[in-house]
Amino acid sequence: MITNFTQLVDKVKTVTPQTIAVVAAEDHATLGAIHRAISTGFAKAILFGNQLIIESLLAHYEIPDHSYTIIHQPNEQIAVSEAVTMVNQGKADILMKGIIGTDIFLKAVLDKTSGLLNQGEVMTYVAAMQIPTYHKLLFISDTAVIPYPDLNQKVAMLKYSVEMAKRFGISKPKVAFIGASEKAGNQSQTAIDASIISKMAQRGQLGEVIVDGPLDIFLATQPESLSIKRINTPIEGDADILIFPSLESCNAFYKGLVRFAGAELAGLIQGTRKPVVLMSRSESENSKFYCLALACLMSNKNL
Amino acid sequence: MITHLEQMIEAVKAKARKRIVVAYANDIHSIEAVHHTMELGIVDATLVGDKATIVKVCEDLNIQSQKFRIVHESDEQKAAHKAVELIIKGEGDILMKGLVSSDKYMRAILNKDAGLLPPKAILSHVTVIENPNYDKLLIVGDAAIIPSPDLDQKIAITKYLIQTAHRLGNEKPKVAIIAATEQMLPNMPACVDAAIISKMGERGQIKGAIIDGPLGLDSAIDKESATIKKVKSEVAGDADCLLFPNIETGNVFYKFNTKLAKGELGAIVIGAKCPAILTSRGDSALSKTYSIALAALSAD
Repeated sequence: MITNFTQLVDKVKTVTPQTIAVVAAEDHATLGAIHRAISTGFAKAILFGNQLIIESLLAHYEIPDHSYTIIHQPNEQIAVSEAVTMVNQGKADILMKGIIGTDIFLKAVLDKTSGLLNQGEVMTYVAAMQIPTYHKLLFISDTAVIPYPDLNQKVAMLKYSVEMAKRFGISKPKVAFIGASEKAGNQSQTAIDASIISKMAQRGQLGEVIVDGPLDIFLATQPESLSIKRINTPIEGDADILIFPSLESCNAFYKGLVRFAGAELAGLIQGTRKPVVLMSRSESENSKFYCLALACLMSNKNL
Repeated sequence: MITHLEQMIEAVKAKARKRIVVAYANDIHSIEAVHHTMELGIVDATLVGDKATIVKVCEDLNIQSQKFRIVHESDEQKAAHKAVELIIKGEGDILMKGLVSSDKYMRAILNKDAGLLPPKAILSHVTVIENPNYDKLLIVGDAAIIPSPDLDQKIAITKYLIQTAHRLGNEKPKVAIIAATEQMLPNMPACVDAAIISKMGERGQIKGAIIDGPLGLDSAIDKESATIKKVKSEVAGDADCLLFPNIETGNVFYKFNTKLAKGELGAIVIGAKCPAILTSRGDSALSKTYSIALAALSAD
């Protein structure tokens, strides 16, 4: 079982490097992360963008020539569709956003005929968090894509989070659906959906997984809370995955931990055939690097 | 723990004798049923109705009318109101329907100023069923009063089922919330409510029971079905209480039990200031006795 990001990097280093197609790579932060992934030994890159600018930026790094290719395509619209096509054709394993606008980037990913989303899949975002005060990695969803997930979207968020957790060696993840309290009832959609989904899990409709909710963060992640609140939950204060009722709550949760608790984050777009890396500019260099390691773990079926 | 309806009679005898008030007791059936339970030593009775008719019925039945307290009121609706009034005055512990029609009887109970319903209380109907094919009693609701219970009403019914189980000596009843399937299908409202109520049970918001649902009737009361379907549930195959999603389901189960499955039953209206008996003309004499015994067990 992988319990921190160092172990994650160690794991992806052991197998064939994955090829990352970067759209609009003429950006320091992006190339910095790519450089680190390549020099650590788990990635190769295809860099789309303005060749001259990319080359001048690359002069700052020592990257072996054979580990990357540059495809000169200054038009970001064309660059992204070419990159998506490459991923679909298996010429690249991972798609990564550079300094292209998020809208244009996602539009290409979501394109019904040429994009990366299979029919019936839901695009969402799952992130792994390394928190100094938690004994293992904590997976959370959705920090970035679905503002107010409905029941089906929450089930999809659970499914993708579980898939990710399983790649980390967690065979039966504990999933907590987060609310402001553990109270059940019909006062909030959060409580209703959590009750429905935990019943689906109890009935075996969601595979090898333990689900409970609504639970607050304490009951989900702190064993002492169970006796204080006198609540029995199979999560036992030992959650692997937290599913949040809204993007705002999840986003605030992770940013709070990054800002005040020294947490690191690695996240990916989920629901796509191949990993899609879409990072916020404000993320640390470490987080960007871990993101790429995560993408390689998810992409490499031999791990 | 009481596992046969008959055992209720002994259990009631051990308690202080309850007083029953019959609304419009002008008929053979109710006088006979009440008299029988008096003979068993369970209750004392006040008959509200037309005095001359009551005396005549008693003579026909060869029962001494002096055994009863008779309160004269010849009008059907007024007799129902009078019976309720006696309960409120503290002169009775159980209300029973005589020859009065169900709607007039209910109107007297539900009357805002002079009725028996506390503010915001939910009135429901609980049936205790004994069936030769099940090894214990089944406590079910609602077969008679709430047509399409919403979540709050289902929660109230669940609590009444649990309360009744406790009165029958079952301290931790297993409550199955019935739907068409044990699968959690979000587009079926019965399944959604079941998930919410069973979560409330898990969280201790509904106490004194183990609650699970949705469960199909088969997986709720048949161990083999529960095993075949691999339902992991403490309740499956061993339910004490069944919460039905609507009145039709509950009513069909109730009638199927007596008419085709050779079962017996006792039933009460619950949620008012005292238990009320709402027997139907189609009920057997035995089930009327059991209903009175159940009411006596439920009365404080």
